[in-house]
Amino acid sequence: MTRRSVATAMPAPAPPWHHLRLGTSWQLLIDKQARTGLLFIAPSVLFLFVFVFYPVFDVLRLSMSAISFVTDRERFVGIANFVEILRDPKLATVAWNTLIWTVFSLIGQFGLGLAAALCINQNVPGMKLIRTILLLPYVVPVIALALFWRWMLDGSFGIISVALQSLGALGADQSPLALPNGAMASVILANIWRGFPFVMISYWAALQGIPTEQYEAARVDGASTWQEFRFVTLPYLSAITMVMLVLRLVWTVTFFDIVWLITRGGPGGATEHWPIWIYEETMGFFRFGTGAALAVFLAGILIVCSTAYLLLLRRESDP
Amino acid sequence: MNESSSTFSKLATYAVALTLTLFVGFPLFWMVISSLKPSAELFVSPPRILPHEITFEWYRNLLGNSGSISLFRNSLVVGVSTTLICMTAGTLAAYSVTRFVYPGKRVFLVAALLSYMFPAVVLFISVYMIINSFGLVDTHLGLIICHCILTFPFALWMLKSFFEGIPCEIDEAAWVDGASFLRTFFTIIVPLALPGIFSVAVFVFVLSWNEFLFASVMITSGTLKTIPVGTAEFITSFDVRWGEIMAIGTLATVPVVILFLCVQRYFLSGVLSGAVKG
Repeated sequence: MTRRSVATAMPAPAPPWHHLRLGTSWQLLIDKQARTGLLFIAPSVLFLFVFVFYPVFDVLRLSMSAISFVTDRERFVGIANFVEILRDPKLATVAWNTLIWTVFSLIGQFGLGLAAALCINQNVPGMKLIRTILLLPYVVPVIALALFWRWMLDGSFGIISVALQSLGALGADQSPLALPNGAMASVILANIWRGFPFVMISYWAALQGIPTEQYEAARVDGASTWQEFRFVTLPYLSAITMVMLVLRLVWTVTFFDIVWLITRGGPGGATEHWPIWIYEETMGFFRFGTGAALAVFLAGILIVCSTAYLLLLRRESDP
Repeated sequence: MNESSSTFSKLATYAVALTLTLFVGFPLFWMVISSLKPSAELFVSPPRILPHEITFEWYRNLLGNSGSISLFRNSLVVGVSTTLICMTAGTLAAYSVTRFVYPGKRVFLVAALLSYMFPAVVLFISVYMIINSFGLVDTHLGLIICHCILTFPFALWMLKSFFEGIPCEIDEAAWVDGASFLRTFFTIIVPLALPGIFSVAVFVFVLSWNEFLFASVMITSGTLKTIPVGTAEFITSFDVRWGEIMAIGTLATVPVVILFLCVQRYFLSGVLSGAVKG
C-alpha cells in the first residue's frame, strides 16, 4: 500500500493501524475495521460461494450422474460417463482438433503479439494511432467477427475466397469453410485476429518496464540490434511469457464462441473441438451428465498441464 | 547505433506495424463498407473495394424491424444491470481488501483470482442448474447473474489496483475527522477513483454486451435475446442477406468501440499495473 506524507498534516500522527502494539481504543477501532471490511465483501463472498464455488463442486457431482430429461431425476452412475467418453469414436478426432486449434492459435497470437508489441514500443510518429487500431479486436464482439469472416469467405462473393479462387488455390465458387483443412485454418486465423492484441499489450507492458540503461550499456559494449533483442529484451519478457502461456492456454482450449459462430464444428466435424463437444452434448442432446463429465475431463487435463508446467519452470529456475 | 541502421529499423518498424494494422483494420473496414453497398455492388465477383454509391437501405431495414430493435434493448438492459451490480459489489470489495485488515482476506483474493481463470464452458452446465433451481432460466436476471460471474473477478482485481493507488492516509484523515467508513467511501474514495471505476465499468459492460455462451444457454424466448444470440439465429448457413448482416455487425461493434476509445488511456494504465482479461 502506498503511504505518502498526507499523514503529517494531522495533529497527532495516528499509529499505523496494522501494527500489533496497540492501545485498547485502537484495538476497538481495528475490530470495527475488521467488521466493516467483512461487511463490505460479504455480498461478493456470498455471490462467489453460490455462483462460482458451488458450481465447481456441482459439476463434479453432475459428471457422475445421469439425468433424465423427462423426469428431471438424477441417478449416481459413478465413472460411467467418463467411460462413455473414452469409448466415443469421436474422442480421437475432437482431441486432435483441439490440439491443432490450440497450438496454432497460440503460435499465431504470441508471434504477432510480440511483433506488434515491439512495434508499438517504438517512439515514432503515428504509433499511438496504430496502437489504438491494433487494440480494437480486443473489444469487437465475436459475433461481428464471425459475421464479417463468413462474408469475406463466402464462396461466390467473399473477397478472400475470390482472391484464392483467382490464384487457383480454390475451385470456382468454393469457400475455404467448405474444406476440412480450410475451415480449421479459417477459425484459427480468426482466433489469432481476436487474441493477439491481448498478448501485444501484455508484452508492451513488460517492455515498458525495461530500464533504458540496459540498452545504453549494451550499446556501449557494441551490441548489435539482434544482440540487444536477444540478451536484453528477451530475458525481460520470459517471466510474462510463462504466466501468459498458462492463461492463454486455458482460455484458448476452452474458447467456444469463434468456432461455434463460424463453422458450428463443421464441415462434417472437421472443426469440432472440445468446447463444441461439451455444448452439443448438453444443449443439443440434453445429456447434462455427459456434458459435465466432458467439462471435468477438460478442466482436469488443463489443471494437470498447467501445474506440471509451472512446477517444471520452478525446478528450472532454481536448480 | 549509426544513422543508416536506425533509419532501417524505423522502416522495418513501420513495415511490420502497417502490415498488422491492415490485418486488423481491413476486415473491420470491409464490414462497414459492405453494410453501405447496394445489392448490385455487394454481389459482384470480383468485389470492388470502394462502392460507386452508398445506401442506408440495410440500416433502414434493420431499424424498421422490431425484432432487431429488441435485441439491442435487451443487450442494453443486461449490460447496464450487470455493470451496476458488478461495480457496486466490486468497488465495495476492492475498497475492503485495500483498506481493512481481517482474517480470510488473502483466501478471498486467491479464490477470486482462481475464478477469474475459470472458463465459462466448464461451468455453464452447473450454473444453468442453479439458475434453473432459482426459477431464473429464460429471464434477464438469470443472464445478469451469469455475466456477473464472468466479470466480477476481473473487475475486483482491476479496481483493487486503482484503489491501491490512493494513499490510505486520505481515508485515515477522514476517519479521524469523524466520517463513517461508508461515508468516507462514497464521498472521498469513489470520487477520487472515478476514472478508474468508469473504465472498469466500461469493460464490464463490453464483456456483457459481447458475451455469447451464457446468453445462448440461459435465454430461450426470442423477445428476451441479446444481440450475439439473436444475430447468430438471424442468419442461417445459406443466408444471403449480407447487407443486413454486415449492418447488424457494424451496429453491434460501434457502441463498444466508442466506449473503449473513451477509456483507452485508463485501460492501458490498468494493463501496466497487471490486470487484464481477454
